[in-house]
Amino acid sequence: MLNDLQLNSILEDFDIAYWKINLLTKEITWSDHFESLVGKPSLEEPIFDFFINKVLHKDYKYDFRIAFDNLISTTDNLNQEIKIKIQNDKYRWFECRNLKSKENSSKEIAVLLFVNIHQSKRDQYTIEENFFYYRETAEMTSTGGWYIDGLSKSIYWDDVTKRIFDCPKDFQPDYEERMRFYATEHQQMAISMFDKCEKYGIPFKIELKMLTHHGREFWVVATGKPVYSDEQEIIGIRGVFQDIDVNKSNELNLQNSLDIIATQNSRLFNFAHVVSHNLRSHSSNLSLVAQLLTESNDAREKLNLLDNVVDISDNLDDAISELNSMVSHHGLLTKERSNVSFNKALDIVVAATSSLINRERAKIISEFTALKEINYIPEYLESILLNLITNAIRYKHPGRKPVIFIQTYMANDQCFMEVSDNGMGIDLEQYGDKMFGMYKTFHRNPDAKGIGLFITKNQVETMGGSISVTSTINIGTTFKIKF
Amino acid sequence: MGQKIELACIIDDDKIYVNLVRKIIEIKKLSENLLIFKNGLEALDYFKVILSNMTEDKLPDIIFLDLNMPIMDGWEFLGEFIKIKNNFDKKITLYVVSSSIDPRDLERAKSFNLVTDYLIKPIELKKFEKIFDKVA
Repeated sequence: MLNDLQLNSILEDFDIAYWKINLLTKEITWSDHFESLVGKPSLEEPIFDFFINKVLHKDYKYDFRIAFDNLISTTDNLNQEIKIKIQNDKYRWFECRNLKSKENSSKEIAVLLFVNIHQSKRDQYTIEENFFYYRETAEMTSTGGWYIDGLSKSIYWDDVTKRIFDCPKDFQPDYEERMRFYATEHQQMAISMFDKCEKYGIPFKIELKMLTHHGREFWVVATGKPVYSDEQEIIGIRGVFQDIDVNKSNELNLQNSLDIIATQNSRLFNFAHVVSHNLRSHSSNLSLVAQLLTESNDAREKLNLLDNVVDISDNLDDAISELNSMVSHHGLLTKERSNVSFNKALDIVVAATSSLINRERAKIISEFTALKEINYIPEYLESILLNLITNAIRYKHPGRKPVIFIQTYMANDQCFMEVSDNGMGIDLEQYGDKMFGMYKTFHRNPDAKGIGLFITKNQVETMGGSISVTSTINIGTTFKIKF
Repeated sequence: MGQKIELACIIDDDKIYVNLVRKIIEIKKLSENLLIFKNGLEALDYFKVILSNMTEDKLPDIIFLDLNMPIMDGWEFLGEFIKIKNNFDKKITLYVVSSSIDPRDLERAKSFNLVTDYLIKPIELKKFEKIFDKVA
């Protein structure tokens, strides 16, 4: 057996302090090392009271006293983590436990060990703290973690991921059904992304439209990286989903407003162009006439010049009424939408253009069975049909009778109308961007006024739709309207 | 005004404007002859014929080019004219004349080397005389 001295020096070497307690006299002796840690006890109060009042952190007073009483009265084992004030007035973590008595050891002496566990306790706190911050960050940024185990073909989602997808906490995503959380239009992209990551180890970061447990669409940023085994084989994919729906819908709204502003701007620009060109050219002619009138001394010449004034005034009048019609077209929004039948609208337009249609022996075929009517401003639909039909006839192929095919249909919950012709077609490479501008005429056709498509585009856009065109020279042109 | 210009050319679809300019040129005796085209394509066709016949005496000394015209506008004409212009020995002065006051049109016109200046309609009689004077 080791004697006290030997035991003491061993315990000191290991930075272990201890108390020796005489169970009969309840006398407590501190080891030298313990004393060097906390300082000498004062002589005014019993050593235990001194420890409780001056050394032990007050959070542990109650529990420690009970445990200590149990130890000396019933020799229950004592094992506690406590904070003790050491000499520099700082608290340190110690593990306090009694030395278990062997069968032959004295029943009169108990030994209480104090082991410094401050460092490991601090590490543990740091980890807990980090984990707390990680959790908070994940919650606050709506970022959820996931793992796909490529070997067992199973999926793990953490709590935040489950919350993002509106799933209950005990939800277990099914590997076979994993694609149901991706919006249809993004499934292909997601599959190829996961595929590339799983097969070739290519990480990804991508914005995706996904679906919650209940099928609500929302935007996420999905980030994924391959997980390798020790043999450097890919065994799974680990990553995060970040819910960016709020940002994304803000972004889309912003883009939408931007588009509207750009459209308005281009309208204003076109308008300014008409004002600048049409009105100014007449006023400048007027000014030229005036200059010539002052210069000329010949009475007959002056009369001739006055004829010009009449012409200019007529042209000016035309220009102003044309501008007026454009402005009133823009103002038409005050008119109300109603359910308009495509057949009826077409009948009205055909009746109005019957002389042109008959003269050119144009054939109009309509197919409205898939979408018979639409909630629209009737005058707009008629005007759109009128412009597209007269356009098709005007730019017919010289060797063919014009045939115009008009079809309506639904796709992706959207209403569409296509107007196709067998006309001369147009070089979109050259004119595509100018197509719907004002006063653009592309064909060697002096009748062209170049305002029809501008108005059509404006009407379609005012109603929240869009118009596009495809064309092949000598084959024909198709206008597609998304309502 | 010592000598007159031999041949001036107007490319413009505004009949009234063309008539008035014709009058100015007559009254002020600014040019011996006058060529008038309703749009860029008519003018371009004319220049192509000259090119193939090599009859440079039919080339104008000065061109007034409008921008907004049907069929082939002033910009398209400029684009085509650049390609054939270097085949002519004769110096041709070209003015863009437009009622457009859009600064972008002005910038774009000046970006062409062969454009001497951009004139905004209406042009004053005095200015007309000065321009013809300079060229002659």
